[in-house]
Amino acid sequence: MSGTKPDILWAPHQVDRFVVCDSELSLYHVESTVNSELKAGSLRLSEDSAATLLSINSETPYMKCVAWYLSYDPECLLAVGQANGRVVLTSLGQDHNSKFRDLIGKEFVPKHARQCNTLAWNPLDSNWLAAGLDKHRADFSVLIWDICSKYTPDIVPMEKVRLSVGETETSLLVTKPLYELGQNDACLSLCWLPRDQKLLLAGMHRNLAIFDLRNTSQKMFVNTKAVQGVTVDPYFHDRVASFYEGQVAIWDLRKFEKPVLTLTEQPKPLTKVAWCPTRTGLLATLTRDSNIIRLYDMQHTPTPIGDETEPTIIERSVQPCDNYIASFAWHPTSQNRMIVVTPNRTMSDFTVFERISLAWSPITSLMWACGRHLYECAEEENDNSLEKDIATKMRLRALSRYGLDTEQVWRNHILAGNEDPQLKSLWYTLHYILFMKQYTEDMDQKSPGNKGSLVYAGIKSIVKSSLGMVESSRHNWSGLDKQSDIQNLNEERILALQLCGWIKKGTDVDVGPFLNSLVQEGEWERAAAVALFNLDIRRAIQILNEGASSGKGDLNLNVVAMALSGYTDEKNSLWREMCSTLRLQLNNPYLCVMFAFLTSEAGSYDGVLYENKVAVRDRVAFACKFLSDSQLNRYIEKLTNEMKDAGNLEGILLTGLTKDGVDLMESYVDRTGDVQTASYCMLQCMKVKSESEVAQSCPTLSDLMDCSPPASSVHGIFQGSPLDVLKDERVQYWIENYRNLLDAWRFWHKRAEFDIHRSKLDPSSKPLAQVFVSCNFCGKSISYSCSTVPHQGRGFSQYGVSGSPTKSKVTSCPGCRKPLPRCALCLINMGTPVSSCPGGSKSDEKVDLSKDKKLAQFNNWFTWCHNCRHGGHAGHMLSWFRDHAECPVSACTCKCMQLDTTGNLVPAETVQP
Amino acid sequence: MFVARSIAADHKDLIHDVSFDFHGRRMATCSSDQSVKVWDKSESGEWHCTASWKTHSGSVWRVTWAHPEFGQVLASCSFDRTAAVWEEIVGESNDKLRGQSHWVKRTTLVDSRTSVTDVKFAPKHMGLMLATCSADGIVRIYEAPDVMNLSQWSLQHEISCKLSCSCISWNPSSSRAHAPMIAVGSDDSSPNAMAKVQIFEYNENTRKYAKAETLLTVTDPVHDIAFAPNLGRSFHILAIATKDVRIFTLKPVRKELTSSGGPTKFEIHIVAQFDNHNSQVWRVSWNITGTVLASSGDDGCVRLWKANYMDNWKCTGILKGNGSPVNGSSQQGNSNPSIGSNIPSLQNSLNGSSAGRYFFPPLDSPRAGSRWSSYAQLLPPPPPPPLIEHSCDADTASLQYPHPRRRSLSRPLNPLPENEGV
Repeated sequence: MSGTKPDILWAPHQVDRFVVCDSELSLYHVESTVNSELKAGSLRLSEDSAATLLSINSETPYMKCVAWYLSYDPECLLAVGQANGRVVLTSLGQDHNSKFRDLIGKEFVPKHARQCNTLAWNPLDSNWLAAGLDKHRADFSVLIWDICSKYTPDIVPMEKVRLSVGETETSLLVTKPLYELGQNDACLSLCWLPRDQKLLLAGMHRNLAIFDLRNTSQKMFVNTKAVQGVTVDPYFHDRVASFYEGQVAIWDLRKFEKPVLTLTEQPKPLTKVAWCPTRTGLLATLTRDSNIIRLYDMQHTPTPIGDETEPTIIERSVQPCDNYIASFAWHPTSQNRMIVVTPNRTMSDFTVFERISLAWSPITSLMWACGRHLYECAEEENDNSLEKDIATKMRLRALSRYGLDTEQVWRNHILAGNEDPQLKSLWYTLHYILFMKQYTEDMDQKSPGNKGSLVYAGIKSIVKSSLGMVESSRHNWSGLDKQSDIQNLNEERILALQLCGWIKKGTDVDVGPFLNSLVQEGEWERAAAVALFNLDIRRAIQILNEGASSGKGDLNLNVVAMALSGYTDEKNSLWREMCSTLRLQLNNPYLCVMFAFLTSEAGSYDGVLYENKVAVRDRVAFACKFLSDSQLNRYIEKLTNEMKDAGNLEGILLTGLTKDGVDLMESYVDRTGDVQTASYCMLQCMKVKSESEVAQSCPTLSDLMDCSPPASSVHGIFQGSPLDVLKDERVQYWIENYRNLLDAWRFWHKRAEFDIHRSKLDPSSKPLAQVFVSCNFCGKSISYSCSTVPHQGRGFSQYGVSGSPTKSKVTSCPGCRKPLPRCALCLINMGTPVSSCPGGSKSDEKVDLSKDKKLAQFNNWFTWCHNCRHGGHAGHMLSWFRDHAECPVSACTCKCMQLDTTGNLVPAETVQP
Repeated sequence: MFVARSIAADHKDLIHDVSFDFHGRRMATCSSDQSVKVWDKSESGEWHCTASWKTHSGSVWRVTWAHPEFGQVLASCSFDRTAAVWEEIVGESNDKLRGQSHWVKRTTLVDSRTSVTDVKFAPKHMGLMLATCSADGIVRIYEAPDVMNLSQWSLQHEISCKLSCSCISWNPSSSRAHAPMIAVGSDDSSPNAMAKVQIFEYNENTRKYAKAETLLTVTDPVHDIAFAPNLGRSFHILAIATKDVRIFTLKPVRKELTSSGGPTKFEIHIVAQFDNHNSQVWRVSWNITGTVLASSGDDGCVRLWKANYMDNWKCTGILKGNGSPVNGSSQQGNSNPSIGSNIPSLQNSLNGSSAGRYFFPPLDSPRAGSRWSSYAQLLPPPPPPPLIEHSCDADTASLQYPHPRRRSLSRPLNPLPENEGV
């Protein structure tokens, strides 16, 4: 410790005090500020602690080292080693205890003045103080003083007392040490060994020496350069650390010949090394000019001698502050806490945290272990739904039967929480697709112009398939003396508009019902825009007025309506000029595109088509109305690719449930992880397929979606697609992942429902029969229904059992007519209908009676333990194991019901509110 | 967003690992006290320790569950150079009635010559397989060919990593398009700038694991590594705990484009890198969907990371290791979660604002006895350090803290320092 660099020490017993010493000693008091404001006059040490300066002592100049008296009393007694080798006792406390008052100011003077390098109080005999000095010719460099020599004269030789008293200056000077050691050498560091109060470890000039005060002529030593900062591990008293330049050596006193290990060398010289007093095997080191404290975590107890394993050391570093650190001190009792001081005396108090290990549970809760403690952290339920993670969302959606509404497919977005516009668009699209599908099929039966298979393939394919030239024609604006070019709607375009939702089924091209539904939902702007795109400006204005007056809509809609009514066809009018500039300031995208449409040149509608905030379906419908075939194809192509790249579910409208759709869904899953929506959506495609199976005449699989098809093969192209999609590895993988999620959440009922839903739409996914019970006598399956299971090789009809077996023979094997085994409880041959449970208590019976009847089928089932192979009727077994742990068969000690831990888990749905 | 509560773990030393089973109803912890504890969650959501037993003769580094379709099976690894496989059995005694379960050691894997630092079961579609890695730089992959007999494990592969291994992670993808893959991290701290993360992939043709990728940019010691649950994505996400949190994506390049038979090529992108933990990051863990990452680091905090729809990763939560919220109750109002450590910033701001007069607590304070005043020097040190700011209520403030001396005087004089574990 040089004069400029402060050192820092915690009080060994008053755990809220520490001393900073540079040219003077400053005593601070630490307090927590967790529940209080920072007090005036105190210095913030960390987020939740602050220090108050209590006193300053500058009576001891030329300080070289300081050591805190280890005993409780007197308060704040410090030994200060000075540059001239003197050791002074001083205090910062306000102790009035007269017993020790005279200790203060006492000085211990070596024979020859030289620098005092180190001080160490004996941990057992609190009055012994060892001082390590520089070399002075043949003088001793380790002096052990007894600070109480005056007060306990009986243990001190009379001679010594006389000498000290004999000093002329003051009786406080002591010149005769208790012991003198280390002749002709220098002492750089010292520490007492806790093994024995008379053992002292000293870092001498070129060796480490252990002095035994019982026999001062003997010392144990080992030659090494690592002699600085010797310190004993408080948890393993044989482990000692010392350092030299940038290298720390760890010693085992039991095999003192060489260091057990040396730690990685640091580029800069070390200044301090200290074991953590509150945790095993944690060594902190500090190098010069560094703002990092490096910690070595020796996780393992030192192995016995002879074992040459290299201990695992985890190295870590902490950066308590931005400035260089002058010194640090571990807190004596607080776990892993330390305080550091910088050269300009700013201090920070911080805790070295243990390595936290953590794990997520499948249900969104996080568990972590910090030190010896465990913490569980669960997501709060009343959270903003927008910030919810997809895992939570999927769980909630699974509980709300999301995806399972097959009648009104569009309702699924409401089940999903009605918060995601993309999901809304997706389910509406699927709804229209299924709806149109059915309708076109109905139509197809009357006329053989099959467009049905096109429906699921999305607007992109629909548009592509219409290769017949579409003529545009002038259409009159209703209510205006104006004409615009509108494409004649051919069959494909009508289909597209229907998929977009603008027009209803049939050849009726009236958007009236659609407008009404929009108005009902309060989407005034959108309704007005759609009306306008259908050249009905009067209706648009009317809708806006309606919106403004309804009170729910924006009052500014009136203003917009006014602006709209001022429409003029003149090219250079002020209206046109102002609208085309001011429209960009409109917040609502639909209002914006209305003016874009009105001010655009005929044939160029980029302002509408590339307004990304407008729903894809409206833009596509608009394009179908106004773009020529080549323009439309280009636009749809471009938009599709955009949607695919972004994984925007609105794009399913364009791609349909084709390979393109899977690509789109893939980027959606990549982006969100929402396999639930992906699974359910792709299952719809199987529905399309299963419903159109009959209609399919050409089963060839072809993947022609990417090239433009010749007109003649239009229908053949898409028929293979549903199968393609169904077989697509990605789709199967999403489904597998979703099922796995449901399993992990213990949503087994939901998983089963999903499987049922899936097998309805995709019969190939139905699992095969899993268990067959075979007769003991003939070895054949006893099942009556086996003949209907397709993979069962032989039907049972050949064994004389017809398709309608008589009920009276259920207790015997259908193959050989031998009786089936008996139930372990009722001792009746299995296959008989159960009577009510004999084991259950009376009250239970009554309550369960009605239930039992309903469950009669289940209660009738065979069940047995795979371990002991005893069993009986499922109902009887269940009622038995309600009260018993062991098998009902006498002398069988099998704990049948406890064998399977997963079997004892309760499905999560049943405990959900 | 998150609230934490403490659970009495009752381990006698540091807990090194926490692991959940497939359903999240059971948990295992392991510790330096050489034991493993199994916890079961009651219907009310409380965790109960149902088993605790000594597993190794050294610190137990990691513990992990097998998929429940293989039974209730745990694997642990330790400093004692072994890994072990444990199975829960229903004993003859009435353990279950006392709420205790019984675990037996099915095998000890003794191939490593050094500390076994990580153990992980392979994804279930690969069968019952187990990977270990050790400080000698070897990843070993074991297989139990007969899932009914867990005492038979055969060493299938030994992959040499050349560097001391600290952590492994299986790629959980069960897609047939993705070959089995394992990522290995090294905590080798020697100054050479070798890449510390290697990814090995199983090659069907050679039936061996071959190195598929090395993350060249990761040169600092790696403490943990975790593949995100794949969940149907077309790419893999890998989180790495090194001196910062890093998230990589690995997108397999289509097989048709690469030469068949060779290892899969990947387009590797680093999508996030956060040094908010200030220094070392110890652990990373993904939630079930691979959308939220939790990390723990040297700042003693647990942080949560989540990507928005633009694939920008952000910190969405931060908690102290002791469960208290970082910016909730603290009155400093430092609500910026992106500042790793509040301490230096606070200190700086204090220093910056404290230009002014400094002086000590008033001398007429009741604590300032004769002793004190005779030794106290009332001049500030030459370069005045920012000690105390002048305020008119300094008097009352200094009176408020409890007097420490009163406590110490009432106790007998104790010559032995308390904290010495003699």
